[in-house]
Amino acid sequence: MWLNIAARLFWRELRRGELWVIAFALCLAVFTVVSLTGITESVRSALSQRSSNFIAADKILRSSLPFNEQIFQNAEQLGLKTAKQMQFSTMVFAGDQMQLVSVKAVSPSYPLRGRLLLKSSEQADATTSNTVVKDQVFLEPRLLQLLNIGIGDSLELGVSRFVVGGIIAEEPDAPLSVFGNAPRVLMHVDDVAATEVVQPGSRIGYRYQFAGDTNTLKTLEQQVKPLLTVHDRWQSLDRESAVGSALDRAEKFLLLAGLLGIVLAACAAAVAASQYSQRHQMAVAVIKALGTTTAMARRIYASHLAMVSLFSIVTGLLLGQLASSGAQWFIEVWLGDYRPEFSSRPLWLGALTGVICATLFSARPIWRLAAVPALNVLRQRALSFQLDLWQLVTGGLAIWLLMWLFSGDWWLSSWLFVLCLAFAALLLGMAAVLVRLAKPMAAGQSSALKLALANLRRRLWPNSFQLITFSLALFLTLILYFLRAELISQWQQQVPAGAPNQFLVNINEAEKPQIIQLLTDNQLKAGDFYPMVSGRVLTVNNEKLPESDGREQDAEQSNAGQSDAGQSNAAQQNPERQKGEQQADIADNTLAAGRDTQNSGTASSGTRREGIGRELNLTWLHTLPANNQIVAGQWFGAEDKAQVSVEEKLAERLALELGDTIGFSVGGQPFTATVSSFRKVDWNSLQPNFFMILSPDLMQNFPATYLTAFYLPKQQTALLNEMARSFPTISVLSVDNILKQVNDIIAQVSLALTVILVLVFAAAVLVLVAQVQATLEQREQELAILRTLGAKTVFLRKAVLAEFAALGLMAGVFATLLAEVLLAVVQMRLFQLPFSLHFNLWWIGPGLGLALICGLGWLLLRHLLQLPTPVLLRRALS
Amino acid sequence: MVKKILMSLLPKIAIQAKALRKEVQLTDARLTILQQINLTINSGETVAVVGASGSGKSTLLGILAGLDTVSSGEVYLAGQPLHQLDDDARAQLRAKEVGFVFQSFLLLPSLTALENITLPAELAGIKDATARGRKLLSDVGLTERADFYPSQLSGGEQQRVAIARAFITEPAILFADEPSANLDAATGAKIEDLLFALNEQQGTTLVLVTHNPQLAQRCQRQLNMHAGELTELKPEVGDVA
Repeated sequence: MWLNIAARLFWRELRRGELWVIAFALCLAVFTVVSLTGITESVRSALSQRSSNFIAADKILRSSLPFNEQIFQNAEQLGLKTAKQMQFSTMVFAGDQMQLVSVKAVSPSYPLRGRLLLKSSEQADATTSNTVVKDQVFLEPRLLQLLNIGIGDSLELGVSRFVVGGIIAEEPDAPLSVFGNAPRVLMHVDDVAATEVVQPGSRIGYRYQFAGDTNTLKTLEQQVKPLLTVHDRWQSLDRESAVGSALDRAEKFLLLAGLLGIVLAACAAAVAASQYSQRHQMAVAVIKALGTTTAMARRIYASHLAMVSLFSIVTGLLLGQLASSGAQWFIEVWLGDYRPEFSSRPLWLGALTGVICATLFSARPIWRLAAVPALNVLRQRALSFQLDLWQLVTGGLAIWLLMWLFSGDWWLSSWLFVLCLAFAALLLGMAAVLVRLAKPMAAGQSSALKLALANLRRRLWPNSFQLITFSLALFLTLILYFLRAELISQWQQQVPAGAPNQFLVNINEAEKPQIIQLLTDNQLKAGDFYPMVSGRVLTVNNEKLPESDGREQDAEQSNAGQSDAGQSNAAQQNPERQKGEQQADIADNTLAAGRDTQNSGTASSGTRREGIGRELNLTWLHTLPANNQIVAGQWFGAEDKAQVSVEEKLAERLALELGDTIGFSVGGQPFTATVSSFRKVDWNSLQPNFFMILSPDLMQNFPATYLTAFYLPKQQTALLNEMARSFPTISVLSVDNILKQVNDIIAQVSLALTVILVLVFAAAVLVLVAQVQATLEQREQELAILRTLGAKTVFLRKAVLAEFAALGLMAGVFATLLAEVLLAVVQMRLFQLPFSLHFNLWWIGPGLGLALICGLGWLLLRHLLQLPTPVLLRRALS
Repeated sequence: MVKKILMSLLPKIAIQAKALRKEVQLTDARLTILQQINLTINSGETVAVVGASGSGKSTLLGILAGLDTVSSGEVYLAGQPLHQLDDDARAQLRAKEVGFVFQSFLLLPSLTALENITLPAELAGIKDATARGRKLLSDVGLTERADFYPSQLSGGEQQRVAIARAFITEPAILFADEPSANLDAATGAKIEDLLFALNEQQGTTLVLVTHNPQLAQRCQRQLNMHAGELTELKPEVGDVA
């Protein structure tokens, strides 16, 4: 019997629009979670696929031993795609020209991820291909200049002769190090044996490349474990380069946005359910007076909630999935080679959010609704359905649970949750004080303003709650807006426009002025010249360091892409050897070494002092480089003699303390220096960086070469050829490709952040709408009374606007205050960015609050204000 | 046998209150709303309760109808001890025996006129609810308004729907709380006529709370409520102590 009544009431209420508000709120909650999680996962997977492009595969096994075919067989049995790659350095000869090159020999399936683009000429309309072919080699364009040959000519590599098939226009796993290596030669892996370059003892980097889904790759990892030796190592995605840290921050931002979206959606559901209960209490009293028991009333309204929840969850899931599919489509169009992956996580998380919001946020008001006494039909007394303690506690727990499920990060969700609670409590206190202050403020004001302030004061608690919701919604939007701007600007600062994209290495003293002249003639500006000399660290406090720390192999492997150059047998036979080795060392001294030492940092957590095991590039400077920061001790002054400043991670590795004495050897000449400071170095800065910087007095008598960097616009690239000819001993290293990749990623991530910001903003606006709608009925009655008493439309309009303006302004100011505090915390703790005040926030926050809440209030109440008095009265009375 | 016949000739008691008392706890004091009410209303009687605002009329109505509870004393409705019944049992009793007409109509805005009328019948599990509803709708002269929602009806029409709703379960006792107070005089009079006509037709016991002396005059008995005490103004059949 109750089912019939419940069904009839349900359809009627659905038709009257009574249930839509709650349906809408639940749907919004589900939609927010599904779309945000879906989009976040898509962006994450797109970024990770993009990162896969950097290694041309999803997973790489590096080895210094020849390929074990069993591993490839295992992978193929699992359905994974595979590719082979060998890397080594050697000399190539063309006529009387020779050049040290970095050879990459690949199988035709290379690359498994990303795109290889080979061109038949440097012309724009040249024919292109994407795979290597046997008996041909493909060269980096500058190598053609260096060898003075053209496409179609031949060159000698080892004992074989190859035809130059074309140039490498795009290489997915091009070295990311500032100091790449010798010019690249790409060839077929099956041609390597014939060259006889590979001899016993040759240093060859072997790479097994795999692509497939994450779980299968994990299975493979387990399967081949017994086949691996100490010479084999899995390579994960590079997370510590400039790109890596940008991705990390973006992921954190997306996570944060998702968490904040959940809080907003949950608020909307709670508000809508309270509003529904508020409006239905008389109906419940009536049906109870007519003989319905509390249990039956509860069943009737619970069934409504269940039906609405089901409908909303299904709709939210569909719309959310549609939105994330749309985002996937967009990413696919944007990235070209993105492969969308279906994940059920957003769907079940969305459904769970819907169920939790319905049960823990909406069920409580419905439960209380059924308990409305039948006697209320006589008393006509409205109960308040604002949040009660029970709902606050269960709702709070639900929010935390959802945050935890969504982020999978117990600490972050708890931290954010406690912060939101503290903010809500703080806001409640501030709201109460301000609303109480409204009375003295009202004295002497116009009557419209007086009425507005009286309205605010009269509904102190509902208004405080409304104020909290408004402030929270604004606060979350502001936080996201500013964090997004912050992240994007930080990334752009990392790679500012006009950042040096060409590095010149191995410049001698005499060449310095010539280089400056050449650059000046071409309207270019040379950067600082860093003197360099190779030296060994022999002792610390007269204690001899171990020659090798057993990690050389590891270093070689982890930096194979950057530092394999100059270490092959073939290279040892030629006069260019020294230059090649130097390049490899510089590479170690920059980006690659940053990662390298970070890895070893964990290994050396004990007090055991580890050796460096190779020569370092030493420099000497009067002033501290811009992207370096002293973390202990002091930078040496003009009078300081025989001192050294050490990079902090290396200092940890050598177990150094300030005042320790380091013994060096340069060209066989020993000398010592006292450690005067430790430096933090930004390895992501794409600037020259050094482990050891010596005080200038120490190095005066050593012959040095110089390193400099400058920005070369694209249209002037011909200058590089001129440089290569005029200064044959100088190596020109281009980082244009890296900069382009970094900028590409930044643009993509920025776009993703913007999409998510818009989504969270929409959620915030919807919460505001739900909140204003909750007061519509009461306002209708008040307007009817005021109209009956003779209030003019203009007066009522002013009063309504003033009330919303006051609320909006208060919410804006609160949100601004809190946002500034939280931004400082998030900036410094979560993203490790320096603290800065956000002056814009102080006008955007209150302005946005004022405009948004006033605008929404006006939009939602406009039709009420325009109703003729009799209609208004009839509506209010019915 | 004779005793049985004599018993059936005696008037049947619809409502009985014995030493009824109602108090409410305020923040710092205890307020007595009703004190020592003794009242018997026989089946088929029409009784008006009059009195000033705040005298306790509506509280008495609430208690007699089983909407409210007593602080002390006994109340019987259709022979059932209301003071001993819990909330759900009182609700079931109301569904079976009681009809209501309220001052502000209290129709469910989401249901049509006909659906509002049939609601109590459905709650009481009556099978031919719709047929009864249509008949009553015709009795109150609103056949054409069956599918109208309350907001589409005038105040008088809404109250006519409310009256039809009150009679659909053919209740033994009808409680009316200021049924014409929200209506203009002419409409109010029509509503009152309708109420008394249906009451007579169904032989329902009517307990009516009103300010209106003319309306009160139409009832067989008038009780005056003053400061929580009840006095009989025109004793005819029942007993008031």
